[in-house]
Amino acid sequence: MNTVRCVLGMLGTDAHTKGIRTLSRIFRDAGVEVVYLGEHNTYEQFAASVAAEDADLAGVSFSTAGYVKHVDALMRALDEAGVDDVPVMVGGLIHADDEPRLRELGVSGIFGPGSTTESILDFVFSSARSNTEVRSDTEVQTDAHDPTTGRLVKSQDQV
Amino acid sequence: MSDGFRSPEDETVGLSRTATWGGLETKVSYGPDDIASVDYERDLGDPGSFPFTRGSFPQMYRSRMWTLRNIVGYGAPEDTRDGITRSLAMGATGVDVAVDNLTAEALDPDHPAVSADAGLEGLSLPSLRDVERLLEGVDITRTDIAYHSTMLIYPMVAAYAVKHDIPLDRIQGSHMPDHYQLTLSGWGDKIMPADLAQRATLDCVQYAAAHSPRWSLGLPQAYDLRERGLTPAGEIAFGMAITMQVLTDLAERGMGVDEVAPSLAWVSITDVDLFEEVAKFRALRRIWARTLHDRFGATNPRSLRLRIACHTSGRSLTHQQPLNNLARATVQTLAALLGGVQSVEACTYDEPVCIPTHEARELATRTQQILAHEVGAARTADPLGGSYYVEALTDAVEAEALKLLGTIEERGLVKSVRDGFLESLMDEHNYTHEREMAAGERIKVGVNRFAPEQDEALPRFKVDEGGVERHVQRFVELKRTRDQDALAARIADVYSVTRRGDNPTEAMMDALIADGSIGEVWGTVRMAMGHPYDPFRVLESPWEHSA
Repeated sequence: MNTVRCVLGMLGTDAHTKGIRTLSRIFRDAGVEVVYLGEHNTYEQFAASVAAEDADLAGVSFSTAGYVKHVDALMRALDEAGVDDVPVMVGGLIHADDEPRLRELGVSGIFGPGSTTESILDFVFSSARSNTEVRSDTEVQTDAHDPTTGRLVKSQDQV
Repeated sequence: MSDGFRSPEDETVGLSRTATWGGLETKVSYGPDDIASVDYERDLGDPGSFPFTRGSFPQMYRSRMWTLRNIVGYGAPEDTRDGITRSLAMGATGVDVAVDNLTAEALDPDHPAVSADAGLEGLSLPSLRDVERLLEGVDITRTDIAYHSTMLIYPMVAAYAVKHDIPLDRIQGSHMPDHYQLTLSGWGDKIMPADLAQRATLDCVQYAAAHSPRWSLGLPQAYDLRERGLTPAGEIAFGMAITMQVLTDLAERGMGVDEVAPSLAWVSITDVDLFEEVAKFRALRRIWARTLHDRFGATNPRSLRLRIACHTSGRSLTHQQPLNNLARATVQTLAALLGGVQSVEACTYDEPVCIPTHEARELATRTQQILAHEVGAARTADPLGGSYYVEALTDAVEAEALKLLGTIEERGLVKSVRDGFLESLMDEHNYTHEREMAAGERIKVGVNRFAPEQDEALPRFKVDEGGVERHVQRFVELKRTRDQDALAARIADVYSVTRRGDNPTEAMMDALIADGSIGEVWGTVRMAMGHPYDPFRVLESPWEHSA
């Protein structure tokens, strides 16, 4: 299959949805199959959905400062749900200082303020798990993409 | 060019947009023909006179200066107390207290699924004991604290008053009892289902307006709706639809418009399009006065003249080159003053990066003081009134707002909240905004144009996590040591009163005095309304209720 299936949602008490809802629509315009979980998910609920939906990619948006803790807990929940191979992207108000820690936790795409739609979509199509399966003979480009190099053409609330 | 300078054409500031930020098309210039239909007495009136287009008070800022607010809220109650003291010392005349997401969503800080967020984005205020820590030494009959929160805040402050023998009709301050906007701006069905929003709004407004006339009710809370994705005209339409629903529902409970409306204040926003925002404030007052008079039969001037509490737009600020946000907030604050609002809280420039540092909060306060004392923004009421452009724009915003309001009324507000119609309008707005940004039809300096090659990340405000941990431990200890039997009886009251359709506010206050937590008291209300005790479905109610 060629369609990328992407689970998007928010965790914990975060209620700033405009970015991720807009992104959902942009993804759909680009042919991505989006499963939008909405807000106020627990880590376990989110991970269970990633597994149940057989997602190729998972994305979480944060507008609150506690995202490193949330990502840590989410990665463990994904692991426990047996879907730790699904690439995870995060976006929103991500401070540059936290990027190394997020990478360490296993996040493969980080899209903070100023990320472009193009850079996000590039990541989606190059990193989604389905590409790994379909193009097993070619090298997968996970992490080959640097999301910070694009020109700034998006608003802060992109993701 | 050989010297490496960029060509001058690259630096030209050309006009990038002829529509307002909210999308209203504008002309090259305006003249008498554009305001030929405006009748001064009928459509404008002197400041302080119906329909209050030119301001709610005859003397405007000469008789009452706007309340200069500063937003504070982080960590444990003790931390926020320290922030309040600093704010008042630098000249703020009112304090806005921001609570953390858990408190705002009526979740306890020891909630296993979300405790990571405790105390981070605001103050953690999960029990009456914590309100006592926050208000220690504060005279709540005199200090004007505006709580940026909806659920449980009035019952908590009222419970504080009862516990400390302060008459409810003397308490001062305000909160934002508009539960509808919560459903609409990201809380969704899990946290605030539409039926609960309707009921909780009514119960709170009814009780507070009847018992605490000096307590202001920030309803509608249109700020968050604008931030979620609305134009200025959309703000008026959504806010009026909510207000009209509340007034209609309260009339069914036997409460007349003049018993409620004087307690209401519109929680508004001021964005970066100066003229459009001024036009919005003017159109808003006119629509409010006419609607309350013509549709609801209000006669009390205090019902008809709208008070507006304003906050500058957080969404308009950028993470990129954050010092640019000082310029944005300054113009936004000026728009609010030229539009005649009653209070302003100016965002700090670092809000996109972290909760405000003390330095940034001081700059936000100084911005307002400069506008008040040096710029002369407060000198004369409605200084832009009579401008061909501003009058025409006021009419245009009004027309668009009334059109959308008609659509919402026709569908019904509660239905439009429940079936996602209103959220889809906001999604559409955001999508268009995003597309215009991507196409360069809408320019945001430092974001999609004039972006620097390198942008230094700002230092962040750090919350003392140790302090928050101690606060949570203290809270857990309170839950363990309180009089469990007394609390169980009070919780049973909350359940049965809510269940039979009566106003549970007093029962909630009693449960809070018995050291019930916000999560427990609100969870009980939720259950009585047929919803899960815990919106995350992780916790079960510790109490059993018979149906």
